Amino acid sequence: MVSRGRMRILVGTRKGTYVVEGDAKRKVWRVGPVAHAGNEVYHVVADPRHPGDLYAAVNSAFWGPTVQRSRNWGKSWKEIATPLTPAEKDRKPAFNDSDPTTPVKRAVNNLWRIEPGLPSESNTLYLGADPHLLFRSGDLGSSWEPVDSLNNHPAKKDWAPGAGGACLHTILLDPRDSRRLYVGLSAVGTFRSDDGGQSWKPTNKGVEAPFLPDKYPETGQCVHHVVADAADPDTFYRQDHGGMYVSHDRMEKWTRIGKPLGDDFGFGVASPPSAPGKAYFVRLDGPARVTGEGHFQVHEWNDKTRKWRKLLAAKDFPGHFGVQREGIAADSLDPAGIYVGTTTGQLFVSPDAGKTWRLIPFQFPGIHSVSVAGPT
Amino acid sequence: MLDVHLDSWLREFGPRGKEKVDADSVGHLLDVLETRYPGLRFKIRDETGQLRRYVRVFVDGEDVSATTGVTTPLAGARTIDILHSIAGG
Repeated sequence: MVSRGRMRILVGTRKGTYVVEGDAKRKVWRVGPVAHAGNEVYHVVADPRHPGDLYAAVNSAFWGPTVQRSRNWGKSWKEIATPLTPAEKDRKPAFNDSDPTTPVKRAVNNLWRIEPGLPSESNTLYLGADPHLLFRSGDLGSSWEPVDSLNNHPAKKDWAPGAGGACLHTILLDPRDSRRLYVGLSAVGTFRSDDGGQSWKPTNKGVEAPFLPDKYPETGQCVHHVVADAADPDTFYRQDHGGMYVSHDRMEKWTRIGKPLGDDFGFGVASPPSAPGKAYFVRLDGPARVTGEGHFQVHEWNDKTRKWRKLLAAKDFPGHFGVQREGIAADSLDPAGIYVGTTTGQLFVSPDAGKTWRLIPFQFPGIHSVSVAGPT
Repeated sequence: MLDVHLDSWLREFGPRGKEKVDADSVGHLLDVLETRYPGLRFKIRDETGQLRRYVRVFVDGEDVSATTGVTTPLAGARTIDILHSIAGG
């Protein structure tokens, strides 16, 4: 077990960004000052290739979306190039519909996900945005190129938004092959590219879309979040509007695993590097969008035994808690730390893979995203 | 020459005090401001060139945001106020 080094929980909230520091024991935490105060921060992430570098997707209701970077673990931040805000004078529209004779100009509404590239691509970043946009940067965010094969996909005119907007919120990279990447869009579903983003294949087979007449369409699912298994890059865990799923074949087909839980709605899922074959879901009551059991709850899926384990008792943290798609994260230690932020501003931490839980003694604004950096 | 006042929230990106600008429309005025202060780009207008939803532009005290917007002519105008609207919670 690692017992040295500094851990950081990166928290994106409705009113700014927080960096919470602790040690590798993960028992004592200190909440740093707020950055981007007053702004919606949908995602904050560390770039493990460049220790100290953090990126934040900051969405101001007044002044629009910006990408912000810190080079000192969040002590200071600076706006860097935002997609489709070119340095030159021309105002290239954010998105043209596939019919070039009737272009529809649309601005980027919100930034949803920033994904650092593979270690072999030290200057690559990916960014997902609304409306259904993917960007790639080859210079750590000094400039961005739209991934036109997806942004101008022939079927895009049929893509609907989810309740949170037309968001591209999930970006996954295959650590073995930089040409293979996956994206998740609401309410469109998941896609895989095997050729570096030149073409995309829908990968939603087996995922139910209960809100559509055709319950198992090729696309149209409202995927909420997907994570890869740390030990098997072909295995993925998916929280969808239509339930909890696993795929063992690069998303070629999905198997629903959530049925034993009854209502298997939710938004977030995490899979710790130290626990191959395990995934952690926050099951929510579908209609209410909060933990329906009357208390905070996380469920552990064991993909080897194909069984669920309920991690908390009713007496632990009573109440109704909402958790969003980026609201649960796991660290790289063994046993894994699991971190859950709620829409009402609680931040729960388990330092021992769900055995015990504690609440960080700080009331955050509503939490959009939680991620972890460290130990460093 | 127009006197332009910016919302205090925008002073991080633009002029800290009153700014003198010569322009014949609101869009032209914003072009000039964004050239002088590149940090203002896409804060007041989005990349389609339209005013952002919660931005208000007043020409001699009249709010033109929801009417003529960036096309508003400025011939004879004297003061421009660029403010954020009531929103949030």
